[in-house]
Amino acid sequence: MPNNLVVATFSDPVSLLKAVNAAQAEKYRIYDVFTPYPVHGLDEAMHVRPSRLPWVTFCVGLTGVTLALTLQFYASVLDWPINVGGKPDNSTLAFIPISFELTVLLGGLSTVAALFLRARLYPGKKPLLVAEGVTNDKFAIAFRIRETAFDARKLAEIMKQSGALSVGEQEAKL
Amino acid sequence: MDHHGETTPAGRSCKSSKDLLVQIGGPPVYWKSVDELQNGPRVTGEFPGGLPGGATSGPRAETTRRDFLALMGFSLAAAGLSGCRAPVQHAVPLLVGSDQIVPGVSNYYATTCRGCASSCSLLVKQRDGRPIKIDGNAESSLFGGGTCAGGQATVLSLYDDGRLKGPLWQGKSATWNEIDGHILQALNDAQTAQKSVVLLSGTMTSPSTRAIVAEWGRSNPRFRHVEYDPVSLSAMRQANKESFGQAAVPHYSFDKAKVIVGLDADFLGTWLSPVEFARQYASSRKPEKNAALHIQFEPGMSVTGSNADVRVPVAPSQLGATAIALLRRIAHKAGTSGPDQSADPVDSARLDAVAEALWKHRGESLVVSGSNEVAVQMVVNAINALLGNIGKTIDLARPSRQRNGDDAAVAQLVEEMALGHVGVLVLYGVNPVYDYPDSQAFAAGLKKVALSVSLNDRSDETGALVNAICPDHHFLEAWGDAEPVESNFSLAQPLIAPLFETRAAQDSLLRWMGREGEQSNYYTYLREYWRKDIFPRQKELPSFEVFWDQSLQRGVVTLASAGGAAPGPIHGGWQEAANKITQSAKAAPQGNSNSYELHFYESVALRDGRQANNPWLQELPDPISKVTWSNYAAIAPALAAQLKLENGDVVALKAGEKQVELPVFIQPGQEGRTISIALGYGRTAAGKVAENVGVNVFPLTALAAGQRRLSAVNASLASTGGKKPLASTQTHFSMEGRPIVLETSLDELEKESEKPEALPTLWAERLQGEHSWGMAIDMNACNGCSACVIACQAENNVPVVGKDQIERIRIMHWIRIDQYYSGPAENPVSVHQPMMCQHCQNAPCETVCPVLATTTSSEGLNAQVYNRCIGTRYCANNCPYKVRRFNWYNYTDNPKFDFNMESPLGRMVLNPDVVVRSRGVMEKCSMCVQRIQLGKNLALQGGRPLADGDIQTACQQSCPTQAIVFGDLKDPNSRVSQLQRSQRNYQVLEDLGTRPNVGYLKKVRNPMERS
Amino acid sequence: MSSSTMTAEPLHLEKPELQVLPPPVWVDGGPSLAQITDDIAHPMEARPGKGWWICFGIAFAALLNLGGMVTYLIANGIGVWGLNNSVGWAFDITNFVFWIGIGHAGTLISAILLLFRQQWRTSINRSAEAMTLFAVACAAMFPGIHMGRPWLAHFIFPYFPNQRGPLWVNFRSPLVWDVVAISTYGTISLVFWYLGLVPDLATLRDRAQGKIKKFIFGLLSLGWNGSHRTWSRYEITSLILAGLATPLVLSVHSIVSMDFATSLLPGWHTTIFPPYFVAGAIYSGFGMVMTLLIITRQTMHLERYITVRHLDKMAKVTMLTGMIVSYAYATEFFSAWYSGNIYERAHFINRATGPYAWCFYLMVLCNVITPHFLWTKKARTTVWFLFIVSILINIGMWFERFVIIVVSLHRAFLPSGWGMFYPTKVDIGILVGSFGLFFTLFLLFIRVLPMIAMWEIKNVASHTVDHKMAHGVGGEQNKEVIRA
Repeated sequence: MPNNLVVATFSDPVSLLKAVNAAQAEKYRIYDVFTPYPVHGLDEAMHVRPSRLPWVTFCVGLTGVTLALTLQFYASVLDWPINVGGKPDNSTLAFIPISFELTVLLGGLSTVAALFLRARLYPGKKPLLVAEGVTNDKFAIAFRIRETAFDARKLAEIMKQSGALSVGEQEAKL
Repeated sequence: MDHHGETTPAGRSCKSSKDLLVQIGGPPVYWKSVDELQNGPRVTGEFPGGLPGGATSGPRAETTRRDFLALMGFSLAAAGLSGCRAPVQHAVPLLVGSDQIVPGVSNYYATTCRGCASSCSLLVKQRDGRPIKIDGNAESSLFGGGTCAGGQATVLSLYDDGRLKGPLWQGKSATWNEIDGHILQALNDAQTAQKSVVLLSGTMTSPSTRAIVAEWGRSNPRFRHVEYDPVSLSAMRQANKESFGQAAVPHYSFDKAKVIVGLDADFLGTWLSPVEFARQYASSRKPEKNAALHIQFEPGMSVTGSNADVRVPVAPSQLGATAIALLRRIAHKAGTSGPDQSADPVDSARLDAVAEALWKHRGESLVVSGSNEVAVQMVVNAINALLGNIGKTIDLARPSRQRNGDDAAVAQLVEEMALGHVGVLVLYGVNPVYDYPDSQAFAAGLKKVALSVSLNDRSDETGALVNAICPDHHFLEAWGDAEPVESNFSLAQPLIAPLFETRAAQDSLLRWMGREGEQSNYYTYLREYWRKDIFPRQKELPSFEVFWDQSLQRGVVTLASAGGAAPGPIHGGWQEAANKITQSAKAAPQGNSNSYELHFYESVALRDGRQANNPWLQELPDPISKVTWSNYAAIAPALAAQLKLENGDVVALKAGEKQVELPVFIQPGQEGRTISIALGYGRTAAGKVAENVGVNVFPLTALAAGQRRLSAVNASLASTGGKKPLASTQTHFSMEGRPIVLETSLDELEKESEKPEALPTLWAERLQGEHSWGMAIDMNACNGCSACVIACQAENNVPVVGKDQIERIRIMHWIRIDQYYSGPAENPVSVHQPMMCQHCQNAPCETVCPVLATTTSSEGLNAQVYNRCIGTRYCANNCPYKVRRFNWYNYTDNPKFDFNMESPLGRMVLNPDVVVRSRGVMEKCSMCVQRIQLGKNLALQGGRPLADGDIQTACQQSCPTQAIVFGDLKDPNSRVSQLQRSQRNYQVLEDLGTRPNVGYLKKVRNPMERS
Repeated sequence: MSSSTMTAEPLHLEKPELQVLPPPVWVDGGPSLAQITDDIAHPMEARPGKGWWICFGIAFAALLNLGGMVTYLIANGIGVWGLNNSVGWAFDITNFVFWIGIGHAGTLISAILLLFRQQWRTSINRSAEAMTLFAVACAAMFPGIHMGRPWLAHFIFPYFPNQRGPLWVNFRSPLVWDVVAISTYGTISLVFWYLGLVPDLATLRDRAQGKIKKFIFGLLSLGWNGSHRTWSRYEITSLILAGLATPLVLSVHSIVSMDFATSLLPGWHTTIFPPYFVAGAIYSGFGMVMTLLIITRQTMHLERYITVRHLDKMAKVTMLTGMIVSYAYATEFFSAWYSGNIYERAHFINRATGPYAWCFYLMVLCNVITPHFLWTKKARTTVWFLFIVSILINIGMWFERFVIIVVSLHRAFLPSGWGMFYPTKVDIGILVGSFGLFFTLFLLFIRVLPMIAMWEIKNVASHTVDHKMAHGVGGEQNKEVIRA
């Protein structure tokens, strides 16, 4: 029973948003919303906290630039100082391009990696598809039945009112 | 080779000829005794008799180059005496290692060059028993340490696949005994048939060989010796006979001359004794107050002409008239009656000025002419006589023996042959079927000769028609001596056992004179000759042994003149000669619009063509035109424009009945209606390298009044419409007003204060090493002779890439000589600039190399790390001097590049100290870093500081004029430092801030007005 | 759009439709979401048409030719090219710079236009990014094969511990910068492109019939299920990547230009190269995008999604960048004259009057004159005309690089070192082959992957609705209402 979901499907984002707001108003806790594309306004409606991914980018990027500068300095000044066209060993300006590139590379890769980790996206994962066509043209809201006082009937009402195509209860391995 | 026998080509080829060698050696018993006598227990080695490694086996620790030689001399004594029996010894592999040949240590031996008849003294580098590098012998008072390009290349001719591996009888290989049998038989037949026996040789500078020939003559009245030079001075000899009663070529002293006038005599490039003359010339042309003035009258631009202060293009037919015009003026000044009045062939004012200058420097001036016309030479003699140069700058008391060819005698011989009067004809170092004007006549005559023998090293054009070929050794395999100038002797000794079953020409001659066993051995003969004829003429040394040892060691012996009487006053006859010239000029048929003059010359690279199969020389850019791998018809720019001809357009040239087709090369400074063509090309039987390279124009030369004329009048020119691209290494000859070659004049030099200090640099000086290697190149001394180019190629294993690759601008030479013209195209001023890696301290190439394959060494060298190089070519793109060379292909052991580095024999010339570069890597001048290392090591071994001059780069060493000075810029007293401090010093493209370690000394012009 | 959400007022709750602004329409005929999916998925599910087969045949033949030529090249050495002592780089580096330039438009469209919230990018960004990847692949080939000893290419990477003792690379060399920049650019572009694909892969997974298809798409779509929590993180990530890719794309061609700018060769050694090259890159890139899209929209019948309005936009960008490039050309000549540097002057005189002058004038014709044909809307919306223009741009930009590289090298400082470059069969074969590689990859791409980002199109296509909702029952206002 606790793993069961109440899923309402919609054909358009308008009714979806309507339903989300209504559910919020009735203090129903939305488990998640499934849409074929990012529907703007849902963040606010669902009170999704802004992501902390940018911090990952920043930190790793910082590491990248430090790493690059250190490597180049170590190689050209400490480990193998050699006379190249009479230039000074520590030709810092010449080290900038590589430092920049490494910053971008590590920053970018780490961000994506972080996303995949946080969203638990990995090859071979069995997707939880609460309703037919949520990756095509259907929109769905899923409510998790946890509270004892969970009035499924009322919820269904609200959903219907906001123009749900269907409301159903289903088991889901979470 | 014993150490290396298994591994090196040397080993292989020697082994292969081993058994043969056994046969041809004399009876071992005899030699053994001498061996015991001289060497004690038998010592064998790569070298006949196992030459000791003088370099290392010295009693003293300190070894400068001189001590080097001294030590060698000792061992050479042993070598000398046992050398002759080398073949036998050679058959026996070395079981007990020689204590005198140290693998990896080079030995140096003095010998004498036979690249041409100039007979320069050489010091040859022998490494692991192989001669691998030719250098001049600094001990020689005549030639100094310099060489010419041809001389440098002779070492490669030793390892030439085109050489015969053994004697041939009727085209089939045979044993020496068989052939000797045939020949002795034929000689007897000739005796009985009362037919003459003729030895036709090139100029014979070897006194001992002359002695052999003389003996033969005494023993056989029907024997005759004829000397034949394809490019001879026989007219001069004739003229001197008439003028001074002495049929000789004088010994010239350009160094004593303050005014030099050349009439089509390329004495810096090819004429008579270029190495010696270049040396003298440079010494007299030092940019000082009294620097010599040089005026050159010539049809085509020659090396000499390109160095003259004043160069006047003159048609070959007008050279006589020019000489007369000068003579008239001189005579007038001398107050004697000159030749009859006649029109001046060139600008009279200029002639006045020249005469004035000559007269001003009476007794210290010199007029030389390359003309092979007796009358012209007589007029020149008259000029020199009136100027009182005879006995001063012109020495007839100690004449030169470098050109003895007698055209008339050869012509007579050809007639005799045609009549069938010649029983036996021995050809020694000559190839008339290729280079005789009427070669058909000669070939036809050859058929009428009962027995003809060639001693040449290959089955050449003539060799194909003779009965027997008895290949002579290469001079690096042979004993010998030479007397280039009277009483200036030079010895020659073998540096390697004969590679093939060849035999010294002198041995052959002795055999055929009927000598047997020891008697027939040239080495014994040579030594006896020196004991009898040379040794007594000197006083210093009581013992012949010591004298011989020392002579061998030093390579040269200079004795007091053998009493050649100073010539008396000039006999008359020059007026007649002058008139004769004027008459003939009048008589000459007036040319129509399509009549041109042809002018034939020896090219610096190929000379008369005897080394045509030498890829180094074929790929040597001509010092003037920069064309490789072909000769061409040089025409004046104006004429080209008029006929709408471009470089590479093929034209047909017809002189008399003969016609040749050649590509055109537009040569600035070429006389308006004269077409110059190089001799020595178009060899058909020299070997695969020379195959179809250029066209043979010897047939167009003709005999006139018994003398070979290297010119022709009334030639016609017709465009064939064909195209034959010329492989040139330089296509643009204008400096475009860039600071590349800077010039100044003596006046300016005096005015100029200190030279401006170097431009500032962004970065701190960062050389930590104790040396900073640099160069100073004197643009005044460099005459463009290109000896350094071949020297570098030999020293640094620079590959030959062939015509096709050169057309694609892919020549590999590490040092090149850039040629620039300024002024009017009809007669420009030209400069030669040696250009190699400038070893910049702020090198643009280094900054851009991604893998640090090129960096500045702690001693200021711009180092190239071959095994690190991945070949992005970024460095070459960023090099302002374009001196970096890329290995576009694998040039070694690659059938597509079938030159010396393709054959095991040819690879024997490679220098083991320098790596052979692989495909895909960049390379360039390393300032002979291997020599720098050796120099430092020797100093270390000797526990002494490295002295200035201990290290010489290959280019520097080969330079006859000492134009290149290498040394340590950190040592303020080194010659290079001093030169780079001098106000003449500048750096090419200085404004780019590359801070090269190579400095150039401004060329100082010597305007005519000054003298 | 969400920004407008913020500014809206609760008042409009009653009459939301009044507030509906006419949205920019980037999809014709307002297809339903399912329709969009079907349309875009169609090329991958239907059998390929004749047109596709012909193109693919030609491209693949060229690719095979490339294989042969490169094998021959590596077997014999780069002597088989027309290079020589004077001209050390020619077709090899010209092609390299050309292809890298092409790539830039893709990144620009996907990243920079995203940051600028340009919705018209949505129809073309996917294929533009794909183009970037394939162009970078072509470009990356040339530094590899142009080496004298390609088998030692790894020398160019600094690695530690280092088997060859303390051997490092020269971090001062622009070639090393190149290597790092190009590989970074390639990686980031790939990641960005794949990230954008994930939702569409999920869509395909869910509509796939075949087992294998399902499995592969399942694997690649990483279990995407359209969860909004993921969506919102996903959008942040895209923005971050866009933010990184934008300076990256500018840096890449700047660094490529430094290969030349940091040298001291007249014609190379100039400070305006970085911006000049970037502009040129975008110019050529858009040329290539136009070429590709015009072909695909015709052959794949996607006119509804790639409208003439898209082409019009791209034409405008080409005009702008084209004129920047023209300005750069002018500046080069001016500074050469104004500097008074004899080598610079000689070089530019030679560029305009020397043996390669025809290349220069061809380049001027294509890059300076051509953009000005696009001033009229008519020209910008005539498809066949744009196609010709785009081809001209590609030609012009290739010749620009040829002129910069070869004309500068063939007559440098010492006249004694002057020489000409003539391409060999292998030079030309490899150039053609690189196009073969590029088009083969692209043609395969449009067969196996959605060449238009479905989810983004859906986003744009349904903006009208989105709009209304934002104003109607948008989050904040809604909460206020509830509180009230």
